[in-house]
Amino acid sequence: MIGGLFIYNHKGEVLISRVYRDDIGYVAQRSFMVTSCIKPATLFNVNLFVCRRNAVDAFRVNVIHARQQVRSPVTNIARTSFFHVKRSNIWLAAVTKQNVNAAMVFEFLYKMCDVMTAYFGKISEENIKNNFVLIYELLDEILDFGYPQNSETGALKTFITQQGIKGQTKEEQSQITSQVTGQIGWRREGIKYRRNELFLDVLESVNLLMSPQGQVLSAHVSGRVVMKSYLSGMPECKFGMNDKIVIDKQGKGGDLYAFCCSGKQSIAIDDCTFHQCVRLSKFDSERSISFIPPDGEYELMRYRTTKDIILPFRVIPLVREVGRTKLEVKVVIKSNFKPSLLAQKIEVRIPTPLNTSGVQVICMKGKAKYKASENAIVWKIKRMAGMKESQISAEIELLPTNDKKKWARPPISMNFEVPFAPSGLKVRYLKVFESKLNYSDHDVIKWVRYIGRSGIYETRC
Amino acid sequence: MPYLSGEDAVKELRRALSNPNVQSDPLRYRNTITKVIRVMSQGVDVSGLFPEMVKACATVDIVQKKLVYVFLCSYASLNPQLSLLVINTLRKDCQDANPMVRSLALRNMTNLRLPGLAEYVEQPLTVGLRDRAACVRRVAVLGWAKLHNLQPQAEIDAAVVNELYSLLRDSDPVVMVNCLRALEEILKDEGGVAINKNITHHLLNRLKECDVWGQCDVLRVLERYRPQTEGELFDILSLLDSCLTCAHPPVMAATLRLFLCLSAGLPSVCQSALERACGPLLAACGSNSREMRFTALAHVQLMMQSVPGLLGAHYKRFFCGYAEPAFIKQRKMQVLVELVNDENVSMLLDELKGYCTDVDPDTAQAAISAIGRIGRSYSDKCLDILTGLLGLRQEHITSAVVQTFRDLVWVCPQCSDVVCAALQGCEETLQDDQGRQALLWLLGVYGERVATAPYVLEGFIDGVRAEVSVSVKLELLAAALRLFLSRPAETQDMLGRLLHYCIEEERDMCVRDQALLYYRLLQCGPEQARRVVEARRSDPALGVLIGRPLQPIDAWAHGFNTLQPLSTAAATPDSSTRGSPEHLHCEPKHTLTEELKALTDVAELSQGSVVGVEPAVVSLSLSPALSPEDFEEMWLQLQSLHMDQGASAVEEGDFLCVVKLMPCQMLPVNSPQSLQAALQLVNIQTMAFTPPNALPWKVYLYTHTQPAPDSTSAECTLVLAELLYSSDTPDSSRAELSEDNDGLSPLSGDGRKSGDRCVKITVKQKPRDSAALSGFLCILTAVLNTVSAECKL
Repeated sequence: MIGGLFIYNHKGEVLISRVYRDDIGYVAQRSFMVTSCIKPATLFNVNLFVCRRNAVDAFRVNVIHARQQVRSPVTNIARTSFFHVKRSNIWLAAVTKQNVNAAMVFEFLYKMCDVMTAYFGKISEENIKNNFVLIYELLDEILDFGYPQNSETGALKTFITQQGIKGQTKEEQSQITSQVTGQIGWRREGIKYRRNELFLDVLESVNLLMSPQGQVLSAHVSGRVVMKSYLSGMPECKFGMNDKIVIDKQGKGGDLYAFCCSGKQSIAIDDCTFHQCVRLSKFDSERSISFIPPDGEYELMRYRTTKDIILPFRVIPLVREVGRTKLEVKVVIKSNFKPSLLAQKIEVRIPTPLNTSGVQVICMKGKAKYKASENAIVWKIKRMAGMKESQISAEIELLPTNDKKKWARPPISMNFEVPFAPSGLKVRYLKVFESKLNYSDHDVIKWVRYIGRSGIYETRC
Repeated sequence: MPYLSGEDAVKELRRALSNPNVQSDPLRYRNTITKVIRVMSQGVDVSGLFPEMVKACATVDIVQKKLVYVFLCSYASLNPQLSLLVINTLRKDCQDANPMVRSLALRNMTNLRLPGLAEYVEQPLTVGLRDRAACVRRVAVLGWAKLHNLQPQAEIDAAVVNELYSLLRDSDPVVMVNCLRALEEILKDEGGVAINKNITHHLLNRLKECDVWGQCDVLRVLERYRPQTEGELFDILSLLDSCLTCAHPPVMAATLRLFLCLSAGLPSVCQSALERACGPLLAACGSNSREMRFTALAHVQLMMQSVPGLLGAHYKRFFCGYAEPAFIKQRKMQVLVELVNDENVSMLLDELKGYCTDVDPDTAQAAISAIGRIGRSYSDKCLDILTGLLGLRQEHITSAVVQTFRDLVWVCPQCSDVVCAALQGCEETLQDDQGRQALLWLLGVYGERVATAPYVLEGFIDGVRAEVSVSVKLELLAAALRLFLSRPAETQDMLGRLLHYCIEEERDMCVRDQALLYYRLLQCGPEQARRVVEARRSDPALGVLIGRPLQPIDAWAHGFNTLQPLSTAAATPDSSTRGSPEHLHCEPKHTLTEELKALTDVAELSQGSVVGVEPAVVSLSLSPALSPEDFEEMWLQLQSLHMDQGASAVEEGDFLCVVKLMPCQMLPVNSPQSLQAALQLVNIQTMAFTPPNALPWKVYLYTHTQPAPDSTSAECTLVLAELLYSSDTPDSSRAELSEDNDGLSPLSGDGRKSGDRCVKITVKQKPRDSAALSGFLCILTAVLNTVSAECKL
């Protein structure tokens, strides 16, 4: 059974503390009383609060602020065991004085993390501070007297009142029912904005595996169209892009616009999925994307392409082994897009053998550093324009080993961000029609942005 | 800094709470209370707000209620008088129509932890036990446990205990498990819940309904049950069988523990349970979460105390990932050391070598000492790696290597040549105390073989004034004295200086006393000093291969699935691994001994018919004793001769080498002690054996044959033998070859018939005497047959 549960931030400050059993933190109490400035009169009361602080402080001093890295996920302080789990920079610690089933306590902590993520997303200091009332409520329901009671998120929902069951007005409740049963569950009536605005983001991640000779072994782009809509009323939207099938169809019809477009590239989309608001029947028959958008931010569609991908960067590696204790690496990267565009946050990661003892790096642009703990040379360039090239050369000194097997040569990986869609996708139009309210397509302010990021972008060397 | 400067915040909050405007607006009121809780969880002492918060308790808003309860439960013990006011509200809530409100009130009433309030709480708790809603019953049941915990001396009413027992049959599984938990706490003095047959079967049937936590607790309680018949035991076990391969590690571990407890008297059942649990345990070892991996590894280590060979085939699962934290890596290395055998040794060493250059110095040192441990059985390969590491000239690596050398030389003196050669130049890189101590010890003991030893010591002695560590000084004194005894001319002067410094100027009493002792010892003359100081250089009691004594499963079963394996641990008991086969406490079953004697007698009588040649009556003797080093040397020497001359010329020279297959279904690979004891009865000494359950499994033996009065052979012969037991079909062609040569074919004819499991016996005899050898083989065969028959039983 668990005596108490504490949540700390990375500085060791307590964010949440919940004590279930009195036995924890008793030992350190005396020393605390001597050192703390509690008035003698209150000393007579066995101060639970003081006890708790002690257990809490002991953990901070011994684990979070310890100089060395963590030696074990279970720490014993003053005959009290602290089971701790770290999520991003948050520590969750379960405290007990009994000889408990260790696997169960850890499993419980994981479950606790799962439940919290289900309620408020990522476990971070900010989220925990914002939701601490909810967490207290959860802790109350999940554990009673240190025994796990009820840890299924679904079952918990009936007991957790954080949004306030009684606080809900009749109006709100009726809205919920209409949302569940009505035709348009994702948008409520009567939304009004003074300025009608639309933000469209095309976010793509490009994945590549290339052979040392520059042959593309596999490449695909997975993309998302994310939309933020601030539109009044119940607008009907129509979205168009340079999908090959659509363009070809329109081309036959002799559409002037399509004719203009066909000069440009059209792209073949392998597969795509839409947000529930998109009318699929219309898409299947006419390949047109029309919908009534939800309010706020949502993901309109998700797609994948494999053909005619614009690879924003080419990596040309040259690795030469000079004797048994030296390695010469030269890597050239070439940017392959319009010179007017700028790529950002470029990072090239060149793996080094395990027995590397020293590295000398020379690069023309950006900063390069050998990171021994990651066994890699990390080369970072803040910005790079299109149609440029840059190179790095490194001399790697190796420790002599009598190792017969050769170094496995992991691939060179790359990260970057470019302001265009590597799949070639273009938004052709996004039209808004609202018949009841008096604003037209022209009054809507629209923003479109393309961001291409690297997924797994690797070149073998 | 919220810890100290909270007073202003408290004042402000009090003002807000008592503001009538705030109180009339539910949303603002609730927000203010939220603020109080926030300040409280930051560590500010807000106990001064107690009266205001008690007032806030009387509300219909559940959210506000919950918040106030959190506050009250933390501070009630400071204000017992004021808390009485809350009780009224709580008791009223206990009769609310909403079960959620009822359970909330009941839970917080018991969470207040005020002994004075017990009388007010009992009545609602009793009512709560019979509530319609399961969530209220859950709380009420545990409420009794809390009440008992609050006043351990006060007896809980027997009627309540009875009611709790009856609630074990409640329809809600959580109520059932809570009842078990509450009864365990209330009846702690009587040994917990009374587990009889009915309750056991009821719990087993309901086990599937419980959640993971409930299952763990139920399985824990069931450990106390003792099945009346073996049939019942097996019924229970087969019911629990599915839990043993459960995906949740805690449930799997709890089930395994229950299996081990229930079938404590049946080793074969325990063994098969462990085998079945292997898969899930290995899966847990590769689990995504590092804490669970750590826990699983600790349990694997525990299991390996009894069945080291169990996971032998899966050794690759224990290779470390690059990004794993140090505590997991170190555990994995400890496991790997146990799993080493002839086939995977080079692979394992390659892997461990990779860890030696880990960025974390502790991990690197653990890897080096792991190589040292393997070096006790495979010294050549390990010494190559260790000396190679010295070339890196890294401080922590050199230190670890030198310490490993010291430990290794103590166990395997045959390594000392390589070690002495490698020590040159180490002193330049060594910085830490432990490493320098190890170096000094080695220089003292093997000083005559290290050319530079006096110079190194001189360096130390010149710097002794600046030396801080007492233990290094003590080691230095001992080393200087030993070196003086082996190389007096070079060392005399510096020893004099050292003694002078230590006696005249040293502040530390221990060092001074030690120096005085040595000084007086030297006054008695070098011979006397030598007699005292020159102790053993190694532990002669150690074998070529070292088997750790096997723990019976019961020895660790009670610690399984608790905290214990996680905390004991990091230090594998080094001293116990130094136990040699001779020092093992083997107490074979008495019946076995008797039986063996009878059987060997029979075998000796009937050997004529078995062998088909002249009944070679031999008597075996153990003296003169053979030391492990001699054994190894002789074994290798005979082998090399054998290699040089090729297989056909096996019997040339003055020795004989025989390879023979013997069918043997079961060899007691899991209890080498019994085999050892059996062999000892017929005067065959076991030299060494591989860890139990590892495959291939090897035993090395030796004995002397003595001429029987009526036999033709005139002299004593020394017989060395190796038993090799592997699971795969042995290479019979090679056996045939030697069979034809040695003329012992009648004995080994049936080796190929039973095929699957054989023991390969390699015997080397010097000088050759085939009659005596066949006698020896006959006795050995008889013993093995007897032991394997015993094994089958």
